[in-house]
Amino acid sequence: MRFIVALHMMTMWASVARTRAFLLARSTRGTLVTSRSMSNDIEEQIKIKGDQIRQLKSDGVDKETLEPYIAELLALKTQLPSDEAPAAVATATKTKKQSPPKQNQQRKNEPQPELSNSELRQIRLQKVQAMRDAGINPFEYTFDVSHTASRLTALYQDKLEPGEEDSSGVTIATAGRILTRRVFGKLAFFTIQDETGILQLQLDQNRLADNFQTLKDWTDGGDIIGVTGTMRRTDKGELTLWCNSWQMLTKALLPLPDKFHGLQDVTKRYRQRHVDLIVNSNVKDTFRKRAQISSQIRRFLDDRGFLEMDTPVLNSVPGGAEAKPFETYHNALDLELTMRIATELHLKRLIIGGFEKVYEMGRIFRNEGISTRHNPEFTSIELYQAYADYHDMMDLTEELVCELALKVCGSLTVPYGEHQISFERPWRRVTMHDIVKERMKFDFAELQEFDEASLAKARAAAAAAGVPDVASLPTVGQILNACFEELCEPECIQPTFVIDYPVEVSPLAKPHRTKAGLTERFELFAVGREHANSFSELTDPVDQRIRFEAQAAKKAAGDEEACDVDEDFLQALEQGMPPTGGLGIGIDRLVMLLTNSASIRDVIAFPLLKPE
Amino acid sequence: MTEEGEELSKNALKKKLKAEKAAAAKAEKEAKRAAEAANNPKAENEEEMDPSQFKANREAAVKALKENGEDPYPHKFHVDYRLPDYCEEFMSKTEDGEHLDTSVSIAGRIVSVRGQGKLYFYDIRGDGAKVQVMSGLQMYAEGEEAFHKIHHKLKRGDIIGVKGFPGKSKKGELSIFPTYIELLSPCLHMLPFAKGDSNLGGITNMETRYRQRYLDLIVNNDVRNTFIVRSQVINGIRKYLDDRHFIEVETPMMNMIPGGAVARPFVTYHNDLSMDLYLRIAPELYLKMLVIGGLDRVYELGRQFRNEGIDLTHNPEFTTLEFYMAYADYNDLMTMCEEMVSGMVKQITGSYKIKYVPKPGAKEIEIDFEPPFKRIPMMEGLEEAMKDKLPELDDPEVEEKLIAILAKHGVECTPPHTTARLLDALVGEFLESDIINPTFITEHPQIMSPLAKYHRTKKHLTERFELFVAGRELANAYTELNDPAVQYELFLEQAKASSAGDDEAMITDDGFVTALEHGLPPTGGFGLGVDRFTMFLTNKNNIKEVLLFPAMKPTDDQLDFLAKNKAKRAEDRS
Repeated sequence: MRFIVALHMMTMWASVARTRAFLLARSTRGTLVTSRSMSNDIEEQIKIKGDQIRQLKSDGVDKETLEPYIAELLALKTQLPSDEAPAAVATATKTKKQSPPKQNQQRKNEPQPELSNSELRQIRLQKVQAMRDAGINPFEYTFDVSHTASRLTALYQDKLEPGEEDSSGVTIATAGRILTRRVFGKLAFFTIQDETGILQLQLDQNRLADNFQTLKDWTDGGDIIGVTGTMRRTDKGELTLWCNSWQMLTKALLPLPDKFHGLQDVTKRYRQRHVDLIVNSNVKDTFRKRAQISSQIRRFLDDRGFLEMDTPVLNSVPGGAEAKPFETYHNALDLELTMRIATELHLKRLIIGGFEKVYEMGRIFRNEGISTRHNPEFTSIELYQAYADYHDMMDLTEELVCELALKVCGSLTVPYGEHQISFERPWRRVTMHDIVKERMKFDFAELQEFDEASLAKARAAAAAAGVPDVASLPTVGQILNACFEELCEPECIQPTFVIDYPVEVSPLAKPHRTKAGLTERFELFAVGREHANSFSELTDPVDQRIRFEAQAAKKAAGDEEACDVDEDFLQALEQGMPPTGGLGIGIDRLVMLLTNSASIRDVIAFPLLKPE
Repeated sequence: MTEEGEELSKNALKKKLKAEKAAAAKAEKEAKRAAEAANNPKAENEEEMDPSQFKANREAAVKALKENGEDPYPHKFHVDYRLPDYCEEFMSKTEDGEHLDTSVSIAGRIVSVRGQGKLYFYDIRGDGAKVQVMSGLQMYAEGEEAFHKIHHKLKRGDIIGVKGFPGKSKKGELSIFPTYIELLSPCLHMLPFAKGDSNLGGITNMETRYRQRYLDLIVNNDVRNTFIVRSQVINGIRKYLDDRHFIEVETPMMNMIPGGAVARPFVTYHNDLSMDLYLRIAPELYLKMLVIGGLDRVYELGRQFRNEGIDLTHNPEFTTLEFYMAYADYNDLMTMCEEMVSGMVKQITGSYKIKYVPKPGAKEIEIDFEPPFKRIPMMEGLEEAMKDKLPELDDPEVEEKLIAILAKHGVECTPPHTTARLLDALVGEFLESDIINPTFITEHPQIMSPLAKYHRTKKHLTERFELFVAGRELANAYTELNDPAVQYELFLEQAKASSAGDDEAMITDDGFVTALEHGLPPTGGFGLGVDRFTMFLTNKNNIKEVLLFPAMKPTDDQLDFLAKNKAKRAEDRS
């Protein structure tokens, strides 16, 4: 929560016409919010409003249009519980009084609108030289941190009265990047940010002696410093590290970006992810959650006896999915290679080899356009379990995602955009026939005969429902699938297993044990997107060859996503593969869902972007 | 198979053509035999049968089953116990010659068949364990006809499901006494005999083993263990770092600029964006950008790609660990390296001391991973080993002097003769090759280490170390260079080396310098070769042994197929 509030403080800081004293006081409050009780309701509204403003900014709305929204945000903030607001106001007046114009060092050194980055860089380079001249290394080698910011916040949560200093004799050493810098004559307050949070520092002439002057001369926002000191609570009740010493660890040559503009330019955020991470703490949170999700998935599977395997990225024959591969070339072997579009065929070979539960979480590559849902490289997990079928896989998917939601989000209900997504089990399981029937009032299941008459009926029904390009689809199954994708998929908001897919669109799935023309396959949908794909795996090599041949025919007819007949894989299947359930989950999309992220670029640290 | 991956010479080409001819003739013969076999499904002794005849028989049998309305590939068989769990559960609960009266279900692959008439014995294997199936007519629930039918159907290699009573044979072998057996997936090929299951044994042909890893795994039990150890190594690394609050991240494998190491990259093409992309050779620069962004402790375990030849220690794709830790330096990293590497050796093998055969045919040696590891500063170590003085690194004639030293000691170095390459040749000759127990070679010259930080006291050197074990580099780490001006200079030097013909010099990355200008905290960075580490722990001297599907030159059939496809595509385009 602290991150979010700190963020909005920054937003506000940037958007209100730099009435610095007031805003500085507000911005430092971010460090303390966790220890205060704040009305959740208002906080939530502030958050929504903040999101709205950010969205508008990223849409490139001009300043005038934004102003009413910002005014609303400020109005909301004044409604924060009364024990908070007066404190802030009091701080504001006090700060104003205490800071004669001359002492506003930061303003003097960084009148941001006037100086370009390269000019600022020059000033900072001069400071680097000044430090070197004084025998001080502006790029230190190491620093021993005794406590992180969040650890200190937790340790001192209910300790120390306002104005009290920790007298237990504990000396704290910590380090971080300077976010804000307020200097008043012989006293300064900085906030620094480390990986875990934000901490306020009190630095003064009394304790630092000559080093106080160098602090004023050499530091800028964005620098990384190390400090030692003791904890105290200020008169206003803010937890503060009262420093005995400070040390420059890394001099930053570029300032932190102006938050207002930083937030506005979305592609710049992706292109300079390091800056995005410094400025937007919620971004850091997303990647921390992403790490937790991967780690929890591994733990979940390891606990169930699955083994993680590494299969090749570079293949001479692509396969395992319908997608266009990247091609590359191995010089020494004089060999053309393709990058994997799935891990399926190799993992199945391992099941044939006698590993009964295997998985691989890894990068997959598809040579397709980029969008908010597609990055040419993405992460998937595929798992295979011998003696299981697609029913078992549905149970496993439910268990896994519920555990993730609980461990990572702390709840089975998570917000996504305007929706609340509930992972409460059991999730809806519906056949593709039924879900399409609900929407179209036409039952594909009644088309028992696979003949021209059925095809004509299917085409007519789909065309009447407004599904485009049905004339070009050669089979009933493909028309059914097109109807589903066009009409039903976007409406699957809550987690839904759509099951029993037509065989024509499922070249690696086993025929359904009772329904002709269908396979034992499901896909998981939520928020209108596919999240998982699974089948009872096709184990019959004769049938697999027929499916491959159908694919090869499609490829010959110009479908670049279709695959060839994979003789090696067929040979492996002939060795006998046990009945097996397989499951693939798109990790990026799952992370989007669990972190309420709108674009795949929000969950990939360095997404591929068009060159500038 | 040209392991070294050099281009095909004329001779090799001739050989290849000849081999292709022979293969074609062989295929024809086989096809003929298979056709004959199909016409003659009655076989006398299946284990002595011709493989293609065996396959034809099995295909015919499977087809007959399907026509008969029986499903040779059922969808699901419920399993109560994995075979290792079955062994653990019932080994102590059963008496010789007796069985329990609660029924359980298990499944596995038949690796041996004995018996006839009213009693059949099978050994089934699954997940590394073996259980005997003792199927008697009396116990079989569905009666005599069903009993004979199922046993007539089953062949060695088939996957079966068994429902029955856990017990032991009179000889004390853990078994299951079936009331029901189901064929789950027939094996159409004659299965090679498993090692240890009979006197015949195992697959020894390397080509077959790597190309058909599933067969290797079915018949060679120790292969499975190699990959379990590999899995333990990866889990061990994750646990060590997660316990220390590192977070795992994923950075791009496809980049516009290949950076972070010196190596030849793979290049590919993004159709939609119409641009070339390079497969990563190291994740280093991205991970440092994340530390700049405030993720103080990050790591990535993942695939790297280098467009180089294949040999005993090189595969075009391989797995590394890289971690970065803010406020740490190379001294901290040496301690962590000792903890992590030794800790895993101890935990996985039970001892700090391991046996290792460094090269095929070499004598087995013992390697002692007990920390602390020996430390050898590179320049001092070299002078001591050579009994010779090295020139100062800022000597304008340093290259000439080094060339003279190389000549004196008979050490060769392929051009271009840059200081870095000359020194590297000496280190390879005098330091690396003598190392057996884990040893840190430290403080490399800056000129060999463009991303490492200049040493805090020693001029021209860096705060870097490499860990060597049995003559092989296992890890590489340094205090990270975080002064953007110095980094920029070093990139420029690399560019100069590159234009001088060193095509392994690093490429300048302006984006990275800009990122450094935002301030990288003092940071220690560490890289470990996961495949190589696994090789030590499993006593393998060929990297292919620790990769499930190592890169192989395509077979003639595959080449043929690829060529055909390519021709077809070209035709389509025109």
